[in-house]
Amino acid sequence: MIGFRTGRSPLHAAHPYTPLAIATALLCLVFAAQTPAAIGIFVLAGIVLAIAGSSLGYVAKPALMLAIPTLVLLFILHGLLGPEPRHALGPLHVSDSGLTEAIVLGGRITAILFAFLTVLATVSPDRLVEAMTERRVSFGATYLLVSTLTLVPRMRRRAAQILEAQQCRGLRLGGSPLARIMALGPLVLPLVLGALAEVDEQVLALDTRGVTSGRVRTAMDPPPDSAAQWAIRWICVCLVVGAWAERVRPLLMLIHPHLYVACR
Amino acid sequence: MPVSALVGMEALSFRYAGSTTYALSDVTLSVERGEVVLVAGRPGSGTSTLLLVAGAYAPRLVGGAIEGGLSISASRPSIVFATPWTQLTGLCRTVFAEVAFGPASHALPRERIRALVGLQLERLGVAHLSTRDPATLSGGELQRVIVAAALALEPDLLLLDDPAAELDPAAADALYGLLKETAAEGVGVLVATPDVERGARVASRAIVLEAGRVIHDGEPAGALA
Amino acid sequence: MYLGLVSLRDLVLVRLGVAINLVLGQVVAALLLPVYLDSLGTILVAALVGPRAAIAAGLTSQVLAAVLSGNFSWLPFGIVQVVIAVYAAGAARVGVFKRLRTALPAGLLLGLLAGGTAAPIAYFMFGGATAGGVTAVTTALRAIGTPLPVAVAIASMGTDLLDKTIAFGLVCLILRNVPSHLAARFPVLAR
Repeated sequence: MIGFRTGRSPLHAAHPYTPLAIATALLCLVFAAQTPAAIGIFVLAGIVLAIAGSSLGYVAKPALMLAIPTLVLLFILHGLLGPEPRHALGPLHVSDSGLTEAIVLGGRITAILFAFLTVLATVSPDRLVEAMTERRVSFGATYLLVSTLTLVPRMRRRAAQILEAQQCRGLRLGGSPLARIMALGPLVLPLVLGALAEVDEQVLALDTRGVTSGRVRTAMDPPPDSAAQWAIRWICVCLVVGAWAERVRPLLMLIHPHLYVACR
Repeated sequence: MPVSALVGMEALSFRYAGSTTYALSDVTLSVERGEVVLVAGRPGSGTSTLLLVAGAYAPRLVGGAIEGGLSISASRPSIVFATPWTQLTGLCRTVFAEVAFGPASHALPRERIRALVGLQLERLGVAHLSTRDPATLSGGELQRVIVAAALALEPDLLLLDDPAAELDPAAADALYGLLKETAAEGVGVLVATPDVERGARVASRAIVLEAGRVIHDGEPAGALA
Repeated sequence: MYLGLVSLRDLVLVRLGVAINLVLGQVVAALLLPVYLDSLGTILVAALVGPRAAIAAGLTSQVLAAVLSGNFSWLPFGIVQVVIAVYAAGAARVGVFKRLRTALPAGLLLGLLAGGTAAPIAYFMFGGATAGGVTAVTTALRAIGTPLPVAVAIASMGTDLLDKTIAFGLVCLILRNVPSHLAARFPVLAR
């Protein structure tokens, strides 16, 4: 889809946790928003984030390519097939509540896409690894999130090779649904078993490189942080807690009235 | 067995988990500092297993069971395999970071790491690749990076399983020459390879295995027979 | 310890499971099958290692799938991966993967569970609009008068029934074909 692009924007220069915190906060906040106006603010926030990352043009195209089909389906599902009352919109009769629902849901997806695609475009994987190392995030978490992405292209190439090789041996990819399901075995088994056979070498290599040393890894080039960025990240946390506290309060009433009163 | 030996095996046998046959049978040998020991044998004769046991990787990481005596005084073994792509951490976007990964994991200070990495990249002739993504390198380039990463750990015991498999003849000669230099610095080097002729040129000793048993332990010329 | 996993080998297996989840879609697409097999890696890790490792594989897969596709709105479906991980680990423990005739029905049941977990997420968080194919089915069902929650549930479960049945069948075959020197190190593969 899209990947990191070098740049000099504030987001590029920021500590990697900062744009991640903003995008994650936005993800949590959009699900707390219930009205088109509130959702509109968050969509705008996503767009502003992309501008802050000098990536609006780069991010807008894939974001809209992913969002528009969903928006259309939402319009059909909720707008056209939604409940009464309806009003005329040109040749169409659109459900009032359904249209509102479609706007809220579609806006959610759009805001999330703009925010996270901006993070992808502005947060360098190297800087993220260094930031995680410096903050003593466990090796396992870093390894799973980052290292897997380097294994995927290699496995994809091997999958393509296996596909070609099996076709040369007479495997047919077409035919009845059952025939196509049966074709999965000769394609999937060699791929998975071959990868399983390499596990030991990867384990040995990592062990040799000291991941089991028990020591705190030296971060070679940790990204700089600042009090202002810490503040921004904490503000994000507070906004999320505040927004969801408002939504959760009525539920507390259902659980126990004293809890509800205590939280007022 | 010499007290100063980095690795000592006494009538050692090793079996992998679930196997009824011994991968190593009744092996008695030692490896000293400063030696380059060539390990030769047909595929399946136990050469790779010998490296894994010598480095205390087996049975610890790959399972199996040892019978007989094994003493390892090497505190920093380092191992290199023939397939470089399985030895990448996958966490590093530059060759420099890949080679620095090991020393960084041992919590060495940054300046020391930079010096170590720079030195090994130069010795392996890959300093010009230091900013390249390891995933974009050829097999030969990547293998030299992996060897550099192993040496950057400042091992006292270096184990190599067919390290020149991806290298052209000139690069292979250079690598084996480097192994001899590394041994001269006090490192014990154990190299398993089917390229017996090349290995014999730099080795001070050769061990030949057949069906897990040592059939020769002595002059490198014995491995050529 | 890494992320609470017991060993470095478990961690590397989890990584492999994640990669399998992310790559198999390509194989499936070549066969034009209406499934994703995007949890086969999770199920395999559950069988070989256990539930915690499988949960790690599932959640990581969800995050990385979002990174690779750009569609971060699918992140909440990580809950489905947790359900798959726990179920598959339990199934492995009781020996379901020893035979195809137990693996396939167990996969069918997981399809119901997974689809049943995905449906409320799709309905409450996304109004029924998620992945293209599933949403198209939802829309078609809505157009013939099916209530939206029912349409979302049917669409979610429909693809998941086939997907998880096939995934369980394939994991059964994979485990049967693991070489003996590797199999000896996994309790579930004790022969």
